[in-house]
Amino acid sequence: MGVIETRNVTYTYPGAPKPSIADVSINIEKGEFTLITGPSGCGKTTLCRCFNGLIPHFYQGEMKGETIAAGLNVSEHPICELAKHVGLVFQNPENQLFALSVEKDVAFGLENLGVPREEMRQRVDEVLNLTGIYDLRERGPSELSGGQQQRVAIASVLAMQPEVVVLDEPTSFLDPLSAKKIFEVIRNLNRKLGITVVLVEHRLDLTARYADHIIVMDEGKVVLDGNPHEILCSEEARLIGIGIPKATRLYQMLKKDGLKLGNTIPLSSEEMASLLTEALKDG
Amino acid sequence: MSVFSGLKFRKVSSPIHNLDPRMKFVYVCAIFAAAILFSELLPLVILFLIQIPFVLLASVEREWLRSMRGAAFLATIIFLTNIGAAFFRDGYVFTAPSVEGAVAMTLRFMVLVESFSVFFLTTSPDHLGLALEQTRVPYEFVFAFTTAVRFVPVLAEEAQTIMDAQKARGLELERGNFLKRIRNYIPILIPLIIGAIRRSLELAEAMESRAWGATKKRTNLYVLKMHRGDVVLIAITFGILATAVYARLFVRIPPVNELLRNLP
Repeated sequence: MGVIETRNVTYTYPGAPKPSIADVSINIEKGEFTLITGPSGCGKTTLCRCFNGLIPHFYQGEMKGETIAAGLNVSEHPICELAKHVGLVFQNPENQLFALSVEKDVAFGLENLGVPREEMRQRVDEVLNLTGIYDLRERGPSELSGGQQQRVAIASVLAMQPEVVVLDEPTSFLDPLSAKKIFEVIRNLNRKLGITVVLVEHRLDLTARYADHIIVMDEGKVVLDGNPHEILCSEEARLIGIGIPKATRLYQMLKKDGLKLGNTIPLSSEEMASLLTEALKDG
Repeated sequence: MSVFSGLKFRKVSSPIHNLDPRMKFVYVCAIFAAAILFSELLPLVILFLIQIPFVLLASVEREWLRSMRGAAFLATIIFLTNIGAAFFRDGYVFTAPSVEGAVAMTLRFMVLVESFSVFFLTTSPDHLGLALEQTRVPYEFVFAFTTAVRFVPVLAEEAQTIMDAQKARGLELERGNFLKRIRNYIPILIPLIIGAIRRSLELAEAMESRAWGATKKRTNLYVLKMHRGDVVLIAITFGILATAVYARLFVRIPPVNELLRNLP
């Protein structure tokens, strides 16, 4: 069983005429880097809210099916218990920081859990170093750039040592360079610490290369689910209108024109470049 | 934006800023009590001057002057009321004691303002929240306080953005009579309030996701400890209070006009 599993989950927000997600069954394995993508309003955020129990506890509404996160059925456990296992990072960094200094914000979750002070100090310093914001620890939130704020938000979730970190479009408020840095931080969490990462993102150009697993949603349903190389090269993915990486598109076009290229589908420009060099050498 | 720049808190470090806010509060109360004890000019002048070293040590002179200037209007009213009352009481003449009395009352007010402004100018909201928490104020209230402080600059910025956006759509804020001008602000307030409600929902969501309310026994990253400075402050506080009570009970305080007259 995966670390996050949903079984036929259908959910309708209170007062909404139709379900935001319908019959969603997915399985995310431990240690995976999963990418969830799809056009705006397709239910990605709603799905993320299911992972730590915000749905159904915080939003109420009508939920069918079940979500199991870290072995716990989310309907049966309160959010504060699930928060220890599944960390959620939201879109707007500004609205995730409550305290008047960075380190206090990072400690917020631990304070809520009643972690003793010495241990808290140690864990806070550790995640500050991990996310590269140790030097900012005494700053106030309004003295930080958007990218720095988002790193604080990631650090504060990491401090709680969750098994899964879910990031809901963490870079949509950021410029491309800050976004790239955030993605590198996220990749390191996955590679070096073995934390399961679920990333909701439109910018596949920058993120597809890190993914082990991709889920494409459209109109509240999961339409594609599997290996990123195959899915991003498929015709369905292009028709839904997700942002297929340019390298992959180039590969498809060249392939169509009859160029002899290797069979590994590239997801980044580096991969594409090496394929082309190979092809040129052979040709 | 200059209006809002004063709302941003900064972490400053000085011997006064690092003092325990609880001790500083005790000090403010002591100054308060001492100022109430006396209605003579001389001790009030001393009380006023005693606090200036604190201002200098904390290097908040500019902010302090600004708050003194802010109090000037009320101080003038207090002075005029006092001197006016004395003027009628003494039979339509200004006497030296009555002027001195009016100055003393005004100065008493200034001493109160001064001690409060020293407290608030040198206590970061973070510290204040911590002090409240450690004096067993329920955490929900402390959290509401620090979050409010945290979001004041954010909301101020948002208000500015909305104002600019509405002006760009042709809203004229400075037009019409008084009532019309107030009404002009409705298109600013509505988006601001709705934005704030939305924001509060997102905040609640983020709080929940960070185990808000997981345990009744919440811990804290920081702890307030008494340092040498706090002990010194307490000593000073008691010194001031003891001297004030002693002077009140056993010393005849000479009026300043008498002292001036006896000068060679």
